[in-house]
Amino acid sequence: MSTQTVTRSRDGWLALPGNIWRSVFRNPLPDSDLGRASTSFTNFFLHIHPVKVSRHSLKATYTFGLGLMSAFLFLILTVTGVLLMFYYVPSTTQAYDRMLDLRGTVAFGIFLRNMHRWSAHAMVAVVFLHMCRVFLTGAYKPPREFNWVLGVLLLLVTFFMSFTGYLLPWDQLAFWAITVGTSIAGYAPFVGKDVRFLLLGDSTVGQEALLRFYVLHVAVLPIVLTMLATIHFWRIRKDGGLARPPEEDALPGESSTPGPMEVVSAAPVVMATSAGAAAAAKPLLERKQYGIQGLVRGPITKVGNISDRSKFSWPSLFQAELLVFVITVAAILVVSLFFNAPLEEPVNAMHPPNPAKAPWYFLGLQEMVSYSAFWGGVGIPTIEVLILLLVPYLDRKQVGVGRWFAKERLLPNTLFITFAVLNVVLMVIGTFFRGANWEFVSPW
Amino acid sequence: MSTRLSLAIASLVVLVVHGIVFYDQFLNRWEKHQTAYLEQARSLAKTDAERQSIDAAKPRIEQIIVTQFGESRVDRCTTCHIASDDPRFQAYSQPLHTHSYSASLGDIEKNGRWERRHKFSDFGCTICHDGQGRGLDTFYAHGEDENWPQPLLGFATQANWKPAYKAKLTGAEYMQSNCAQCHTEDSFAGTPLVTRGRQLFFEKGCYGCHRIQGLSHGTLGPDLTEVGKRWRIDYLWGHTVNPRDYSAVSFMPKFDLNDDEIKALVVFLKSRKGMNFAETTMDQYRAKLQQTSLPAGVGANADNTPSAARGEQLIAQRSCTACHRLGDKDGHISPDLSYEGLIRDDNWLMAHFKEPRSRIPDSIMPVFGFSEGDYRSITDSLLSRKTPPNFKTGEETYKGLCARCHGEKGDGKGVTYLYLDPAPRDLTKAAFMTTKPEERFLTSLKEGVPGTSMPPWERVLTDQQRKDVLDYVFKTFVKESRRELKERKVPETNPVAFTPESVNAGEQIFLQRCTGCHGRKSDGKGPNSLDISPRPRNLRNSAFINHTTDKRLFTSITYGVEGTAMPSWMDYGLTQTDIGNLINFIRSLNPKPAAAPAEGKSPKLTSRLTVRR
Repeated sequence: MSTQTVTRSRDGWLALPGNIWRSVFRNPLPDSDLGRASTSFTNFFLHIHPVKVSRHSLKATYTFGLGLMSAFLFLILTVTGVLLMFYYVPSTTQAYDRMLDLRGTVAFGIFLRNMHRWSAHAMVAVVFLHMCRVFLTGAYKPPREFNWVLGVLLLLVTFFMSFTGYLLPWDQLAFWAITVGTSIAGYAPFVGKDVRFLLLGDSTVGQEALLRFYVLHVAVLPIVLTMLATIHFWRIRKDGGLARPPEEDALPGESSTPGPMEVVSAAPVVMATSAGAAAAAKPLLERKQYGIQGLVRGPITKVGNISDRSKFSWPSLFQAELLVFVITVAAILVVSLFFNAPLEEPVNAMHPPNPAKAPWYFLGLQEMVSYSAFWGGVGIPTIEVLILLLVPYLDRKQVGVGRWFAKERLLPNTLFITFAVLNVVLMVIGTFFRGANWEFVSPW
Repeated sequence: MSTRLSLAIASLVVLVVHGIVFYDQFLNRWEKHQTAYLEQARSLAKTDAERQSIDAAKPRIEQIIVTQFGESRVDRCTTCHIASDDPRFQAYSQPLHTHSYSASLGDIEKNGRWERRHKFSDFGCTICHDGQGRGLDTFYAHGEDENWPQPLLGFATQANWKPAYKAKLTGAEYMQSNCAQCHTEDSFAGTPLVTRGRQLFFEKGCYGCHRIQGLSHGTLGPDLTEVGKRWRIDYLWGHTVNPRDYSAVSFMPKFDLNDDEIKALVVFLKSRKGMNFAETTMDQYRAKLQQTSLPAGVGANADNTPSAARGEQLIAQRSCTACHRLGDKDGHISPDLSYEGLIRDDNWLMAHFKEPRSRIPDSIMPVFGFSEGDYRSITDSLLSRKTPPNFKTGEETYKGLCARCHGEKGDGKGVTYLYLDPAPRDLTKAAFMTTKPEERFLTSLKEGVPGTSMPPWERVLTDQQRKDVLDYVFKTFVKESRRELKERKVPETNPVAFTPESVNAGEQIFLQRCTGCHGRKSDGKGPNSLDISPRPRNLRNSAFINHTTDKRLFTSITYGVEGTAMPSWMDYGLTQTDIGNLINFIRSLNPKPAAAPAEGKSPKLTSRLTVRR
């Protein structure tokens, strides 16, 4: 009888909304651990997450959500960027006028541009901070070496994305920043001039350069970035989640660290936490419904062998991620409300501003270029990138993983902080302390 | 729980910002103006049809697209200023005010109805008024944004200008610079300020230093062809009043201009935008062809007979004293002309006018290209200044004549020193001053130093006065007595014959040993030259080199020059033959006037060297 009622109530017109809802979201809001696990891996958007995550990885002070923040900024950039593309024309005669239209006439135009501009700046900064976080917590140690390499590549692509976007408004700021930036590329030995020509399609910044930068900015680089980022995310799962100290994975009563071939991840296996639920979990385990999530690394599936220092992703992880998303959006919105993206005078190739400065994240380079064109513009940056790429292969000792400023990692951390601070200081000098003819000026 | 709380707060922020943005985007001020206009127009409407069409109208963005003047312009000004072409709104205040009609703009009144000469649909608004046509918000549309190079005329002259200047220029006057974009005739009645400014540009000698494509070809100062596009009116004004207020390194003289002259010049400069709506490229090309000859208007006085009196006038008109000193006027840049009649002769002055660098090779004086008659007049006027000064003591003489270049303290840093090349001698350098024979200083005082700005004082000062001033210099600045040097063995004339082989050998040595300071072009501008004081000699200064004896060149190279960076090359292993070759090479750069073309311009490279470099 009751079964019939249920069936009938699911047939009528009244049940249509419910039926549609249930066809899209197969799970009801979970009220049991089984439901929580099921929600995670039956939802397309959630299934890239593990069912359970280590409590350590959930700590806000461990990651500060920086990686996610970069991803969300990229999302904001994609959405606002696509909307801006409806108005933008990559032509030297029209681009600036389109900017004026966006600023003055198009509904939400100025706000979209502000969001896009500030998100772009924020993304460069946040990606850099994310890299600092990963280094200072020793999170690039095996098995995560390659993901660090991907991360460094992503940082470079982010720089290049931002740089190519810088030219598009076609104002004095854009024109001269790109002129300076590409001339830095020209200092590379043998190929410098050719690379510069390839980028600009001309000997100076002009229509060809604008078109090339546009295509790179809206098509080529976003695809490259998306692909690299996808692999970056996938590798997080395959490398066993976020790096954490080995003791975080220790089973109750177990103190030894797991061997390299054993499961070290918080394998997303349904785990009954109370004695009463253990019986309910048993048939589930027999059906091996969740075994596939347990096959992370190692020769055998260790279902159930998991530290209790983990939590279900639903709701802990998703809530945290949502919070990072909303905070990112809120911050960008507030900044965009109060500060307008700069739009300087129309391009005048005859009148360079003095000083002509590259975008802020390249001002460290420009500052170094003012001492030596080759070393500042090409030599030192290349060495820096090479060292960054090689870091996880040079420093393989499994110590201090997953802890901020671990004592065992004093030397690498000190070296890295010196490197980061040096670059930031050069950037600050280039931004605030350089005036006409690149002479030292006080900003006060 | 704290996660949920922060989530709630952050979401609220997102919501609030969205609210503000939507409010901001959908409640436009221009809509209010249009609604007000439509209401007023309805009440003024006389027929039902008119009323109905007004009722049907909804606020919308109005725009005028003008394509006939260069790049297309989009002027949305009429979105707010919607009544600008509606004659019924003459009594209303902005933005709902009828644009005034004026016969001076070419508007015609027929049967009580005005017809515009410059129809808004053809010309748009910004072509005359400036501002940014695409904006819909006063901040952007009126160009109040500091990055917009052409703010609305009235805004530029009133809202953001220095209070001291505000009263001096009205928007209507300033607009002439825009009229001149189409009305390019030299004396268009509607643009008297541009016409006057153009005259002043020539009268005050601006063209001597500045280039404006189609008008002048000076090279000393910045090119002003596009100056109106680049700089805003307040900058141009301030810079014309006092150049050094805006650029500490500018050596543009401060001209003695009254407010009306400044206004005319600035409006003229603002009209220089590098393009002209009325000109075709062919016209520009023709203008370029003509740019070497000055326009007929320059100095076209009725009385063209050269005379000293007319020269006097010309000197005042052409602002010679913006740089030079003459009597009580002093531009603090170039030499004192007060005793020119005693210093230079007719030949020297005329040749120097036509090409200053024929006499002083590194002079910065522009070639002004006046007419022969004008040069004659100015020369006559300068030559008439034959009253020698009456200085009683060496000190008086020094302060009256020498200090302007050599400095009050004798350190070679008088007011003019930055503009003279070679720079005035630093008289406090004892190492230099005490090692040269007294005879040399007396000769320099008497005959001057050819190829430099040191003039011959022979006819200005008596023998005694010259001796007194030298004593004063030694007593006050050098403060050391002369040193007797060891006997130096140098030949009177170069013992090495002047042959191509010798010149060639000299060049090789020069390239190895001398280019660091004297430069690869031997013009005294080598890579080290900026760190050296006094600066290395320009060895292409023919007037100087040809006047200098072999003996002195030999001495300087062999033993070095005390008190300068020139070392003793004997110590570095140069033999007498080497030095002889070097001197032959230096001589080869400076052909004697007899060998050079009659009107000895700056010396040419010998063909051999031209090929080589």
